[in-house]
Amino acid sequence: MEESIEWVEKYRPKSLSDLVGNKKSIVDMREWAESWLSGVPEKRAVILHGPAGVGKTSAAHALAKDFDWETIELNASDQRTAGAIERVAGSAAKMSSLTGTSTKRLIILDEADNMHGNADRGGARAVGSIIKTTDQPIVLIANDLYGLTPSIRSSCIELKFNSVQGRSMIPALKKICVEEKIMCGVGVLEKLADNAGGDMRSAVKDLQAVALGRDEIYIEDIATSERDTKESIFKALGKIFKSTDPKSALQATYGLDETPENLIHWIDENLPLQYGTQEGTEEDLITGYRHLSKADRYLGRVRKRQSYRLWRYAGVLMTCGTVVSKSHVSRGFTKYQPPSFWRKMGQLRSKRDMRDNIASRIGDHCNESMRYSRTDLAHLYGRMLKDDAYAVDVAVNLDLNVDEMVYLTGGKKVTKGIQKINDLAQAQRSTYGNDDAPVFFEKKAVKKVQDKKQMDLNQIMQSAASNGNSKAEETSKTVNSAPKDDPKPDQKPAAKAKPQRTLFDF
Amino acid sequence: MTGGFEIKEEIWIEKYRPFKLEDIVGQKETTERLISYVKSGNLPHLLFSGPPGVGKTATAVSIARELFGDGWRENFTELNASDERGIDVVRTKIKNFAKTSPIGGADFKIIFLDEADALTSDAQSALRRTMERYTSNCRFILSCNYSSKIIEPIQSRCAVYRFRHLTEDSVAERCRHIAEKEGLSIADDGMEALKYVAQGDMRKAINALQAAALFDKTIHRDAIYRITATAHPEEIMELLKTALSGNFVLARKKLDTLMLEKGLSGEDVVGQIYRAIFDMDVSGQRMVDLMDMIGEVDFRLTEGANERIQLDALLAHFALTKEQ
Ligand SMILES: Nc1ncnc2c1ncn2[C@@H]1O[C@H](COP(=O)(O)OP(=O)(O)OP(=O)(O)O)[C@@H](O)[C@H]1O
Ligand SMILES: [Mg+2]
Repeated sequence: MEESIEWVEKYRPKSLSDLVGNKKSIVDMREWAESWLSGVPEKRAVILHGPAGVGKTSAAHALAKDFDWETIELNASDQRTAGAIERVAGSAAKMSSLTGTSTKRLIILDEADNMHGNADRGGARAVGSIIKTTDQPIVLIANDLYGLTPSIRSSCIELKFNSVQGRSMIPALKKICVEEKIMCGVGVLEKLADNAGGDMRSAVKDLQAVALGRDEIYIEDIATSERDTKESIFKALGKIFKSTDPKSALQATYGLDETPENLIHWIDENLPLQYGTQEGTEEDLITGYRHLSKADRYLGRVRKRQSYRLWRYAGVLMTCGTVVSKSHVSRGFTKYQPPSFWRKMGQLRSKRDMRDNIASRIGDHCNESMRYSRTDLAHLYGRMLKDDAYAVDVAVNLDLNVDEMVYLTGGKKVTKGIQKINDLAQAQRSTYGNDDAPVFFEKKAVKKVQDKKQMDLNQIMQSAASNGNSKAEETSKTVNSAPKDDPKPDQKPAAKAKPQRTLFDF
Repeated sequence: MTGGFEIKEEIWIEKYRPFKLEDIVGQKETTERLISYVKSGNLPHLLFSGPPGVGKTATAVSIARELFGDGWRENFTELNASDERGIDVVRTKIKNFAKTSPIGGADFKIIFLDEADALTSDAQSALRRTMERYTSNCRFILSCNYSSKIIEPIQSRCAVYRFRHLTEDSVAERCRHIAEKEGLSIADDGMEALKYVAQGDMRKAINALQAAALFDKTIHRDAIYRITATAHPEEIMELLKTALSGNFVLARKKLDTLMLEKGLSGEDVVGQIYRAIFDMDVSGQRMVDLMDMIGEVDFRLTEGANERIQLDALLAHFALTKEQ
């Protein structure tokens, strides 16, 4: 029996030099790390950002290995409240000062764009302040750069990790085949690399998926099933825009791995490119949109009531409706476009997240619904922020950071005034009990965890808790959140603030 | 305990739940590949996407049975994500499962997350590093209706298999198999009825078959339709034709028969009308318009409107609007 291990892990790059692609970012990253060897550099953190499976997490760990640094990783599977983050940063600082100054401890904040508004309350703010003060290098990792606040971004070096080119994947895949004693037919690796669409992990995973149980693989063995979604959606669009048979168009969408929610965006994107482009067919576009709008109404009803049964009408109206809206079939070939608007909309998401998050805190503060707070109260609080008499109180009570103040006051960037309010608010917070209070470890606890190279986060948590420091988090919470009798200020607001995401998950 | 077991065995969807990958019908390409994984003793993380009732859970369980043998339950954990969908569950319960070693010499254990698309995207994110770091201990199998509801980084970590709607042939094949084991015979019209009521969902067909078998060793269509509170497709067609010909009063009489004598609910009738429209001889434009009307009525039913009045209104609309 073969070793039962996942190749993506077995062949995770050990050193930066093993990484495929993104040479420039890797060089920059190494340079940044070198600058740590002679003191604290101006930017103490980097953000590695880019799509899934291109080597971001691997690069962070490989960097540590190359420099012989220890690592502490905090990722989305860990709870990342302000307290947790401070403990990690604090422990890194403490421990390296014990082991001597030369070796560093790399703090890796993976999935940094996925801080949970609720379970990780205050986490983003803590990251923001730690990257300004840390004496240990920090790597943040994100898929979506916009998921990080501007103030975090402005204190980091941003390093983009792009999709890996198919061509450059091939040597790495070849190496794996040699190692695993797999014979590859002509074109196999090229095809795998091509199918992966820039996602190196996918390529390695697919290679293992075809190779499992085989010693030789041929091009026919490569199941395209998993990557052929694009192809089949184009086929379905072809039926929708070019055929006159509504039933066959509908049937073509049945096999698709797309919800009606997504499909309508594809149709919306392409409708104006397909209909009404020739003289005398302008009506087609109008009729088409009339059907699309009806379809959309059903989607809205499903969203609102979760009655998924109604999706079938949306499906019929958007597909059959589009088919019957054409007055004649255009022969010309037009390339179908993926729905761009919705991707951009997704990028706006973080802004809306912020808006809703603030609104829910305002709502808590004055016992109003989030919606009402957003539409009717937010600007009032914005006004108060501009008024010296109230500004600091508002900032403290709503637990606002500078970005949020910028947003509320309708400004574009952090002004001196806002900075000052923030400083005063910080001061006021710290007289009560403090977010930023450093967490101290007893020497004994420190020694114990020190033996382990890769620190286990739970251990840190436990040793911190047993030292009675976990209270710091709670005290700061009660002070910072709205002063009313909501027993769990942490749970409600962000749950309300949770935006509906499914629409934008492209 | 044994009593419970026997009762379970008496329910055919349990009794005939496939134990082996090769017994799963209608997903040949997928199961063939999975069989070779099992033979190799190794598995990538898997993502199964597809409509309900087409064998996703059965496939996951079969994989575990074939890999782990009799003690499979010890190394197989099923979590229904729609019950436990929060980020906390992923960070505590699931992570702890993933961390602990497999039992009894197995190489790894399997965590099956049913309805993974019910996880919020934050909860899905919390799975990412867990899937990577504990791969020596465990594999994940995620199931969902649409993979687009699963965030890109999770898709990147899984081999994705699309489960297809079961064809009528697959439904028939499985029903025939069960009938043989149970000493039943299925008449031709009975088989047609089974396919109609199943709508691609194997569970529905098997349940109907078992219920019909209580009355008669030969399965006829009347039994199937009666048991499932389904109107004969021809009756629905009659109803629609009568309405479309302009005879509202007669159409309404037919509707009353369906609801009072056959016990159909408003929702049942609408569902069957929806299916019948595709077989009617109307223009595409008219079909789309009628569909919108049916959908409107269906929506009102979900809002708790009165079935009889809504359906009357629908028939009136059919009877009195003509194609422009
Ligand atoms: N640039 C690369 N060079 C070599 N292997 C790579 C590269 N990128 C990804 N891989 C392969 O894919 C696996 C996963 O990569 P990694 O965890 O670094 O991705 P990531 O960018 O962090 O993705 P995600 O955003 O999904 O977390 C690695 O273990 C390795 O097998
Ligand atoms: Mg990663």
